[in-house]
Amino acid sequence: MFLELDHISKHFPARDGSGEVRAVDDVQISIQRGQFVTLLGPSGCGKTTTLRLIAGFEFPTHGRIVLDGQEINELPPNRRDMAMVFQSYAIFPHLNVYENIAYGLKIKKLSSQEIRRKVGAVMELTELTGLENRAPNQLSGGQQQRVALARALVMEPKVLLFDEPLSNLDAKLRVQMRTEIRRIQQELGITSVYVTHDQDEAMVLSDQIVVMHRGRVQQIGSALEIYRRPHNRFVADFIGRANFLPAQVLEHSAAGWRIRILDQTLEAAGEAAAATTANSQALLMVRPESIRITATRPDNAAPTWQGVIARTSYLGSLAEYDVVVNGQRILAVRHDPAESDLYAPNQPVYVQFLRENAYLLPPEG
Amino acid sequence: MTAAIPKQRSTLWRRWQEVRIIGQDPVLAVGLMAVSAFVFLFVALPLLRVIYQGFFDPATGQFSLKYFQQFVDPYYSPHLWQVLANTMLMGLGAATGGTILGFIFAYAMVRCNFPFGRLVHVVTLLPTISPPFAIAIAAILLFGRNGLITKQMLGMRFGPGSNDIYGLDGLIFVQVITFFPVAYLIIRAMLERIDASMEEAALSLRASKFHIFRTITLPLLAPGIAASFLLLFVESLADLGNPLLLGGNASVLSTEIYLAVNGQFDQQKGAALSLVLLIPTLTLFLLQRYYLSKRSYIAVTGKPTTGRIFVKEPVTRWTFIILTLLTLVMVLMLYFTILWGSLTRLWGINNEFYLGNYAVALTRGLNAILSTTFLSAVATPIAGVIGVVIAFLVVRRTFAGKQALDFISNLGGAVPGTILGIGYIVAFIGAPWYAVLLVYALLAGYLAARATANGWLSLLLVIAATVGGYYLNWLPLVLGLDEVSWRYLLMVGFLLLAIAGGAFAPARHRRIVVWLFVAMALALLVYNLSPLITEPLARWGRTLPGVELPKLVVKLSTFITFFTQPTLAILGYTFLTMAIFAVERLQGAARFLIGLAAATLCASFVFYGASLTLVGTPYIIVAAYAVRSLPASVRAGVASLQQIDPSIEEASNILGGDAQYTFRNVTLPLILPAFFAGLVFAFARHMTSLSAVIFLTTAQWPILTVWILSEVEQGGMSVAAAYSVILVVIVLAAIGLMSLWLKRAYGASQDVDMTVGG
Repeated sequence: MFLELDHISKHFPARDGSGEVRAVDDVQISIQRGQFVTLLGPSGCGKTTTLRLIAGFEFPTHGRIVLDGQEINELPPNRRDMAMVFQSYAIFPHLNVYENIAYGLKIKKLSSQEIRRKVGAVMELTELTGLENRAPNQLSGGQQQRVALARALVMEPKVLLFDEPLSNLDAKLRVQMRTEIRRIQQELGITSVYVTHDQDEAMVLSDQIVVMHRGRVQQIGSALEIYRRPHNRFVADFIGRANFLPAQVLEHSAAGWRIRILDQTLEAAGEAAAATTANSQALLMVRPESIRITATRPDNAAPTWQGVIARTSYLGSLAEYDVVVNGQRILAVRHDPAESDLYAPNQPVYVQFLRENAYLLPPEG
Repeated sequence: MTAAIPKQRSTLWRRWQEVRIIGQDPVLAVGLMAVSAFVFLFVALPLLRVIYQGFFDPATGQFSLKYFQQFVDPYYSPHLWQVLANTMLMGLGAATGGTILGFIFAYAMVRCNFPFGRLVHVVTLLPTISPPFAIAIAAILLFGRNGLITKQMLGMRFGPGSNDIYGLDGLIFVQVITFFPVAYLIIRAMLERIDASMEEAALSLRASKFHIFRTITLPLLAPGIAASFLLLFVESLADLGNPLLLGGNASVLSTEIYLAVNGQFDQQKGAALSLVLLIPTLTLFLLQRYYLSKRSYIAVTGKPTTGRIFVKEPVTRWTFIILTLLTLVMVLMLYFTILWGSLTRLWGINNEFYLGNYAVALTRGLNAILSTTFLSAVATPIAGVIGVVIAFLVVRRTFAGKQALDFISNLGGAVPGTILGIGYIVAFIGAPWYAVLLVYALLAGYLAARATANGWLSLLLVIAATVGGYYLNWLPLVLGLDEVSWRYLLMVGFLLLAIAGGAFAPARHRRIVVWLFVAMALALLVYNLSPLITEPLARWGRTLPGVELPKLVVKLSTFITFFTQPTLAILGYTFLTMAIFAVERLQGAARFLIGLAAATLCASFVFYGASLTLVGTPYIIVAAYAVRSLPASVRAGVASLQQIDPSIEEASNILGGDAQYTFRNVTLPLILPAFFAGLVFAFARHMTSLSAVIFLTTAQWPILTVWILSEVEQGGMSVAAAYSVILVVIVLAAIGLMSLWLKRAYGASQDVDMTVGG
């Protein structure tokens, strides 16, 4: 365990004086050396506050932060051996590109030769060579971002922190930069903590994703784990799209759970916490791409429902359908649809879903 | 994962942590303490003493409500209530008139396309750079007994009881002209921020222009109008110069206070009346702050909007334009009259062109001109630096007492200057030992805390140093030494500390530790040796021919003494601060012992004689100036700091720079242009100060504005006008020099583009 957040909480006094706001609530995260961990969640979920706690810009109300075996709660940011890439880049407007990148090395009192060598190397890595003497206001957004990155990388920090660094870039640049960041991080092997609300970024960049909501950690796992086996409805809903069908739990089974859904019985995998007693209610998550719609009844033994198309949207590479089954509206997606896959509204169809991809979740509340 | 969950941390712990964050940075901590000490000594203490003094007879020390009882006493009360009534009437009149006039100007400029925008800009600047009673002088020149318009053009004669410029009506008129630019600036700023689309939406809903004005524009402007009104009210109540010159038989509170101190030598009365004046001004000040902060309705961004609305009806438009134009002409005419008056031999009697007034001004008033300019200039960097430090602490840090610091520093400029002036003379006439001790304890306590981690040891250090320093002052008596020799001994002491510090300091800090102590020793050396230079200089100066040249040279020697022989307490505090930086860099036992020795030596300075008896010294004038311009410096600092994206400073932080490094290499370069511009306004404020320093002038250090006032009272209108012009020229020269220098230093990119990176 290289970086550990041990029962970290951060409380702020509420603005109107009534009690306090728990921006970060009993967060527990362990990060291995060299891992790329993303804090993912909607605005206000506490991910930026958590990052700032790691950096030292905020004091935890409870808990400890342990880096490489040493508790660093008391250390000010300038002594934590970390570096950060800010959302606004925070480039020093009165220094040129070279001076910006060399800033931290100068504080470390390295020789100017050494500085020149290191800055040159990192500028090559971030494709900034030739821009040494430019003033920041002469750089494009992408270039500024790379200067901010270079300035952090050149410090060879123990932990590299990112605070939504790509949110100010246009879409194409964002995609380009995120692969760059991942490539460089893997090449250098620096432990990184990345904050974003963009799930695509999180899925592409991370070894582990920490999904946060209202200050609490909802789930920690790889992209696959979080997508396929979310712990609760929030996580399932936040990543990708999902249908949530009310299900009645009958009993445990070999696959996980035997449930009754839309008047049919089937078996599905699910969270251990999905149900505590028999006959309790739970939610079955089925992703739109796992739903199969056919015009004629399929000739396999899997549970099949009859439904009616409410809406069809053709988007070229995929087609979306809203199907109504037993009064329940379900979203289905068909990739690479043939012309025969395009159904008209009010057309009766048969609905099945890939049982292996369905997942049972605890009921809401 | 891990074992025990850490226990709950309380609010107190959190507050302690905040203090520790600041404490970890010695420069910031010392900055906070120095600034707090300054604000406490020169704002809080005088005000508290004034309030206190109102209840105590200074001669007998007895508690008495004498002057408050006079308000119900049948003999005194009619006069007192009349004074109160006059004061309120004056304030009301000035505030109303000024706000209305300011509104007219703002509306004309923003909505009516007033053609002479440049001129209006100049006119708004004039009150900042001229004496506060300039308009009064001009009014007397034009409308007085020998006035150009009243006597010479209209041939009016004034017998007793006739309605002349003197009295409340003339006073209100002059105050309106003097103060309306302030209202103009506030209302204009608000007017510019009203989103055009709001009024356009109303138009599309078929509202008439007048209806829109009544139901949308005016309510949106209400906070600005309220703030202007209140601000003008306060300025009017605080005004001393205009009522003194034009009040005539009508007395107001500020003049009564002045007369109580300077005429009747009754400090208790002055203090009691000051308390009476303080209550309304403080209330209005608080109200005004509240209204200015209520900008919530107007555009969220606060930037002037792009869509400009213009009034199209010719009647409305031309009314505003003509009113503005007329006022503009009158204001310019008034100021011009001053210039003209300075160039006539005897206004009203002999109007020939005459430069003699300036000759008189530059000879008789040379001392005043030199002293005022010198002291204003010295106070300028002090106010600027303190302002920046407070601004930085207020914007970028949280700590207990932050709001108090912000509020008290604002108070220094908000309370009427006369009250502050009285405060200085009651607080600093003898040694305010409790204040001396408090500031010393603050600094010594911090030194002790840094010298050793052990709480008991640091307490021991403070006590030992205090007692040691106090009794150290008995040593010269025992040894039969005079002051000069005693200072040489202390100098040797500091040199020994320099050697000790050099011996025990780690190599990389050695230089700075040695230099700090050597600097202190050098300061003492210079203290002793400076008479060797200044006295011969003064002697030589007196032998020079003419009248001005000797004065100049003698004054120069006084200026040198100002720097080389400051009040010992001030020297002691400065040395203590320097000792903190030295002790920071030492280690182990040396840290404690050298810290103890340094603190003891400094203590002997601080407790020497009647320390902090600042009345009669030029240092109190410098402090008064700095206190008056401090709020503006803080506001300018806050504004420019808020323009810097805080993540830029955080970036420097996480790259390894501590608070001091970040401030020096990132924050300061970015706020420097605005800082220097702010310095110029501070200088202008100092030069034009009157009420705060009127009780503090001495024969050696006369103040120009006071000089002008007495000149008018003696009937020398033309000479007074000449002094006024000289004052304006000095201020303009300073502004000009600074603009030139800024352009040179920062060139085309005068504003570093602070939007980059954010």
